[in-house]
Amino acid sequence: MISTPVLGVIVLIYLMIIFYLGMLGYKKTKEIDDYMVAGRHINPYILALSYGATFISTSAIIGFGGAAGALGMGLLWLAVMNIIVGILIAFVFFGSRTRRMGLRLKAVTFPELLGRRFQSRFIQGFSGALIGIFMPLYAGIVLIGGARFVETTLGINYDVAVLLLTVIVAAYVITGGLIAVMYTDALQGVFMFIGMLVLLALTYVKLGGIAEAHQALTAMTPLVPDSLAAGGHMGWTAMPAFGSPIWWTLVSTLILGVGVGVLAQPQLAVRFMTVENDRALNRAVLVGGPFILMMTGVAFTVGSLSNAFFYNTEGLISVAVAKGNTDLIIPQYINSAMPETFVILFMLTLLAAAMSTLSSQYHTMGTSIGHDFYRQFIKRGEVGNTVNITRLGIATTILISVILAYILPISIIARATAIFFGLCAAAFLPMYAGALFWPRMTREGAIASLIVGTFASLFWLGFVHAKEAVPLGICKFIFGTDTLLTGTWTVVDPILVATPLAAVVAVAVSYMTKPTSTEHLKKCYGK
Amino acid sequence: MLGIEDPKIWIAYILCIAGAISCMIYGIMKWNDGEETEVCS
Repeated sequence: MISTPVLGVIVLIYLMIIFYLGMLGYKKTKEIDDYMVAGRHINPYILALSYGATFISTSAIIGFGGAAGALGMGLLWLAVMNIIVGILIAFVFFGSRTRRMGLRLKAVTFPELLGRRFQSRFIQGFSGALIGIFMPLYAGIVLIGGARFVETTLGINYDVAVLLLTVIVAAYVITGGLIAVMYTDALQGVFMFIGMLVLLALTYVKLGGIAEAHQALTAMTPLVPDSLAAGGHMGWTAMPAFGSPIWWTLVSTLILGVGVGVLAQPQLAVRFMTVENDRALNRAVLVGGPFILMMTGVAFTVGSLSNAFFYNTEGLISVAVAKGNTDLIIPQYINSAMPETFVILFMLTLLAAAMSTLSSQYHTMGTSIGHDFYRQFIKRGEVGNTVNITRLGIATTILISVILAYILPISIIARATAIFFGLCAAAFLPMYAGALFWPRMTREGAIASLIVGTFASLFWLGFVHAKEAVPLGICKFIFGTDTLLTGTWTVVDPILVATPLAAVVAVAVSYMTKPTSTEHLKKCYGK
Repeated sequence: MLGIEDPKIWIAYILCIAGAISCMIYGIMKWNDGEETEVCS
């Protein structure tokens, strides 16, 4: 526990700067484009930091860092995906086309871009509703991550921590729109970068050097608990046994689910539409790559190495120290291993990580419900009561997120993130990729892909993937069995089944239906 | 390498760093590309 007055003053200063940036966003917001896509004039570095800070939430640091504490450094493959797919491929291949098409079609949200490319209000409305319904799950676990750290560091009641975080973020998102969100994200990104850099350096120093630290962790292989060893765990510096349940969870759910799912994240894709030219996107890559390395690369390495630290000091592995709740591994490690001043810095790092992701989620959920679902789908483009519905949408989704943060079970952070990313990949990725790269893709193909991707993913979660199907109990209730399929199928993540299926359906239906008119394609692609 | 025996892990460790460096190289090489702001509509 650290000195509360010191931390209080620092947090207060931090919050004052956040509010100042929120005000700045509010003042600069004059038109709908400002609120939705920051007027399309965002600076490249702000874009990069905002994209990175939104991408990396407390769930990446606390949840996945904790998962690395349990599963080991195999999670570094996710960091590789985060950098190569999440930054390089996302910005270079998806970013530029998204920006251009968004501008040509005057789209201000991710569902609107898809809806206009395929001339379908249904696509926009359905996508908006899907985001409005499922993103609260993701926002809920981001809240858990932030609140857990506040709880362990300040000794504040967890419930109070959840409410505090929510109220502060909601205030500047509702008033300042995406400009406020991105400005505050950028500042938060800087805090996160410094915090994680220091965390890495101190961890290696504490364990006697880079190679020494890794060697100490390798030497702990015999200490893997029997329950994990039976699942395929081969030590914290080795990949799990190929084909084992832990291998499938690591590779299909965590590495692929989150690693690929990032391409179709609505709150990230909309950011490509906030800059005025491709140069800004190119420059953003320069900052984005190292930023993500410092986030997930460091979180997964330090999460794994926490085992060596706890073994040296307490004779226990991290999961045992955290009493089985992997979400507590990183907070416990920071509090036990780091000097008090760093705990304060890291507290801000995590607060920043939680707030930057939450603000974007609230913004995306609100615009999905108010703009995409209500205005474009229900009111067929009329302005109607859009502003109030957007606010109501933000309020409702925030409420659901808070309720979820109270009721979700322990060790849920990494898995719930993966569920949301996987669902987005299945529902949106084939359609989004087709929208940008494949003019032959038709409206019918896109709709079929959206529906098949969504429901195949949900079906697999509810009836086959044991980790969700068993606790949900729907399959048991209807069919009297925990899962419809058995064996390895029950550990294969929905993304591996639903996304390819949606892609095949997209191609097949597109070829079976009438091509989009050349005139419209010219409008979309510009030539 | 780096105190890690399993090549599947140390390759990932190195790829993370290489990936970040590639991003930096790309950003520098393309520093002034794509300056035009207008697109035909």
